[in-house]
Amino acid sequence: MSTVERVRPAAEDARTEGSASGAAPEPAPVSAGASGTEPGAAVSAGRAPGAVRSWLRLFGSEAGLTFRRPRNIAMLAVLAVIPVVIGVVMRLFAEPISAEAQAEGGGGIFTQITGNGLFLTFAALSVLVQLLLPVAVAVVAGDAVAGEAGGGTLRYLLTAPAGRTRLLAVKYGNAVVFGLAAVSLIAVSALVTGLVLFPAGPITLLSGTTIPFAEGLLRIGLVVLYVSAGMAALAAVALALSTLTEVAIGAIAATVVTVIVVQVIGVIPQLSWLQPYLLTHWWNGFDGVLRDPIATAEMGRGLLVFAAYTAISGSVAWARFTGKDITS
Amino acid sequence: MSERTPRPTRQPTRRGRAVRWGVPIAVTALVAGAIGAGPVIAAVQGDPALPERTAEQLLADALRAAETGPRPMSGTLLQTASFGLPGLPQAAGPGGSTSPAALLAGSHELKVWYGGENKVRLALAGRMSETDLIVGGDQAWLWESADNTATRIKGDLSPEAHAAQAPKALPTATTPQQLAQEVLERAEEGTAIGVTANEKVAGRDAYQLTLAPKDASSLVKEVKVALDGETFVPLRVQVYAKSAAEPAFEVGFTSVAFTPPAPENFTFTPPPGATVKEQSLTEIGRELGADPQQRRERGEELKGDVKTVGEGWTTVAVLPFSVEDLTAESAGGDGSESESAAATAEALLESATPISGPWGSGKVIRTKLVSVLLTDDGRLLVGAVTPEKLAEAAGRK
Amino acid sequence: MPGDTRLLAGSREGRDAGPRGAAGLGESPVPPARERTTEGAPEAIVTRGLTKRFRGGQVAVDGLDLAVPRGSVFGFLGPNGSGKTTTIRMLLGLVTPTEGTWEMLGRPMPGAIPAVLPRVGALVEGPAFYPYLSGEANLRRYDAADPAADPRTASRRIGLALERVGLTAAARKRYRAYSLGMRQRLAIAAALLGPRELLVLDEPTNGLDPQGTREVRALVKEIAADGTTVFVSSHLLAEVEQMCTHVGVMRTGRLVAQGPIEEFRRLSTGEAVMIRVETPDTDVAAAVLTGLGLAGVRTGDGEAVAELGALAPERVTAELVTAGAAVRGLAVQRPSLEDVFVRLTGEGFDVDG
Repeated sequence: MSTVERVRPAAEDARTEGSASGAAPEPAPVSAGASGTEPGAAVSAGRAPGAVRSWLRLFGSEAGLTFRRPRNIAMLAVLAVIPVVIGVVMRLFAEPISAEAQAEGGGGIFTQITGNGLFLTFAALSVLVQLLLPVAVAVVAGDAVAGEAGGGTLRYLLTAPAGRTRLLAVKYGNAVVFGLAAVSLIAVSALVTGLVLFPAGPITLLSGTTIPFAEGLLRIGLVVLYVSAGMAALAAVALALSTLTEVAIGAIAATVVTVIVVQVIGVIPQLSWLQPYLLTHWWNGFDGVLRDPIATAEMGRGLLVFAAYTAISGSVAWARFTGKDITS
Repeated sequence: MSERTPRPTRQPTRRGRAVRWGVPIAVTALVAGAIGAGPVIAAVQGDPALPERTAEQLLADALRAAETGPRPMSGTLLQTASFGLPGLPQAAGPGGSTSPAALLAGSHELKVWYGGENKVRLALAGRMSETDLIVGGDQAWLWESADNTATRIKGDLSPEAHAAQAPKALPTATTPQQLAQEVLERAEEGTAIGVTANEKVAGRDAYQLTLAPKDASSLVKEVKVALDGETFVPLRVQVYAKSAAEPAFEVGFTSVAFTPPAPENFTFTPPPGATVKEQSLTEIGRELGADPQQRRERGEELKGDVKTVGEGWTTVAVLPFSVEDLTAESAGGDGSESESAAATAEALLESATPISGPWGSGKVIRTKLVSVLLTDDGRLLVGAVTPEKLAEAAGRK
Repeated sequence: MPGDTRLLAGSREGRDAGPRGAAGLGESPVPPARERTTEGAPEAIVTRGLTKRFRGGQVAVDGLDLAVPRGSVFGFLGPNGSGKTTTIRMLLGLVTPTEGTWEMLGRPMPGAIPAVLPRVGALVEGPAFYPYLSGEANLRRYDAADPAADPRTASRRIGLALERVGLTAAARKRYRAYSLGMRQRLAIAAALLGPRELLVLDEPTNGLDPQGTREVRALVKEIAADGTTVFVSSHLLAEVEQMCTHVGVMRTGRLVAQGPIEEFRRLSTGEAVMIRVETPDTDVAAAVLTGLGLAGVRTGDGEAVAELGALAPERVTAELVTAGAAVRGLAVQRPSLEDVFVRLTGEGFDVDG
């Protein structure tokens, strides 16, 4: 015990539990993991901060890093500005555009913006959900692990020790929150723009039924949640790719390219049988909210697809990240 | 892993890694299982659910149920067509999928609400758009959200009149009820009929009638009609061609509930700001696209000249027709729709193979279910039969 | 000291048993280490047969049996590429060993990572921080990652750590604007965020100017004086010589020797002490040295050299003067640690860095 006594007294506070254990080589509460960082909660539960608080603290740190990062703020700003641009353009040039759109047979949603400001939210989301919103989510989620690995900060987080499973979970939660924030921001920006530039009032649904304004707001809330769930599935895919590389831009680019390729596959008629299995196919499923009755079955299927993508990608990310050699 | 073992362990990494990767593999298997297991579980569970019935009993029950009229219900119909048309160009724009003409190829979902006599709503959902047909009492509306247009349909709305008109207006989006009746009428001596009691359609136990033509020259292998075990409402109709294992045409419920739908489904008030029109069914049909329009016009022209040869499964329709008419008519229209129709016609003609015999010569187009013979002497023969049978019919002037 | 025998055993093994790995990885038993572990873990770090074979077959670390006593400043010495960093990454759970086991602070790893690593401060392969955050915010980030760190005391602990490395003034500056030395010091501050029982410092003086190097050395000594075990890797012999109480020597992935530094010094005293006389009268001087009974007398350009043996240098001086040799300079050359290490590793060390 002489060695232990030489340890400086400062170490006696709160964390001497292990050093005093020298008398017996007590086996730690060990999991089967080779780098077994999992049982963090069990061990740290008895410590001062408590498991939940320490999770929240790491999550807060992660979110602070994401939402203070200039690049991410710029992306959110772009996402928030686009509904304003659509609104202003519709306000200034509404007739020609809607006529043109009608000629193509796809202008339905846009023609309704001029009649009701609330529709700007749906129109903006249906435009942004194709590429820009996924790109923003891919940047944050793709950067999550690869960015830290590339910057070398990952090794310090893991020796802190953040715990691999814990860090990955927090990173994923953060990407989901970012997606929710981005979707909400688009919705709010579009809502404000729509109400300023266009008349408000009862909303005509795609089915031709009219619902009161307040219920329209409620349905916008449902749309935000559904689209966020779709983005959460994408975030899981991006996170899995992020664990495969140490180059953040590689993970981000891979995710974006995947999204584009899948969207191309989705419009090839010969591959139409694949559509129900494609993630991107379901992102637009939020239009089910605009039907009467709400297309719960279709949207439920969409959510199941999101859940399946999240589960598979998430478990791949976990398997890869917890078994990975950190050599950066 | 054995952290406690003082001895160095061999290959700890590889084993740990294998265990770890077992998780995503298991998750993937679970998801794949959930996708694939649905029908399997349904088939396994379906076995003992229904009492055995003979074909006669079943047909009688079904006809009885049909006489009293279908029960109020709602559900989602999925229609899949794989006719094997050669090189049919995709005539669908961004909003094109809601056009009923697009139902000719691929698979489509149609929501159905049926609340009893004169209460029907059909909804065809597109991306950010919807086309609705709402029949409620003495009113009928066609609502197209893409154009923000509500059309009030004039004319007789009694179910009989509607049923007579609807197949023409929406030629492929018919309900299983109507299709099944057609099939039942044909159940004559030329058909082998079988019944199984262990089908599961849209989560419901169902009987399945199998109707197979006995004539070898028919292109139809069999037609399967699934009837709900409780209400005897046809839940699914599948038409199998001899050349393929998958149905060439299928329409059936993916979900169905035999509870009266909410009455709101059968009322419609044109929303503020919408264009409101008033049209008859014929006018609507004309607007729905070049194809139905042409078909209708041609149909009217030729109504007097159509002859049939043979009967039952191997009936062959003979009409006067020439290749020049087809291409000229197609090119005569304007706009992209008639262009694509012309392209379709050209593609069809290119795929045609020349044929000749004692009756003369011509070109034959063969799909999975239907053969078409264009004779050089200006006749068009159509039938769900082999080209040889068509040629034989062409010989019987 | 328990390491006595191990130094010699290790060095012998390393030198004459080249194919030790072939004899059986993970079969090289280290009975003393295991006995001690069960007695009460006086070792801060123990490894048994720790091996890392990277994909492609390259063996970075080969059957490492390391024993770092508690309270020691352990110099982990080896040329660049000898497997030091890979070893440190394995110890900290960043890289999974291909074979072998290890314990830290008496607990089996990697299972005890959550319990052990909060008490271990680490600097691995240079500093790494978020360039757009201030020094203080960077430390806060790493502190948040430690589930055992108390957020209520975070500010105080961060302040203390910054003060300790002399970065208090630059705490609010963005990391991007830090100089190389400041970055290195911030990394050391990160390793000192909590009360640590073990510090693992990988090349802590890398890239520092002489002043910075001195500061780091002083800091390490100060930390060690508190009783914290310091495991410091270096490719600089001089650095290890000045800071460390114990040394482990790596060579191409193998540990060729380890033990207290006095053992190495004692080993080096086995070598001959030389006396070198600078003189124009080389012949006279040589005669005197021979006359004194010294062995290995050689003459060169303006100098005469001999093995001093046990003879007092002042006697040689007196004899030379008596003999009338013009002595311009006289030096006693004791064998340095470097000679020992060169012999152990077969390579020279970058003495000056």
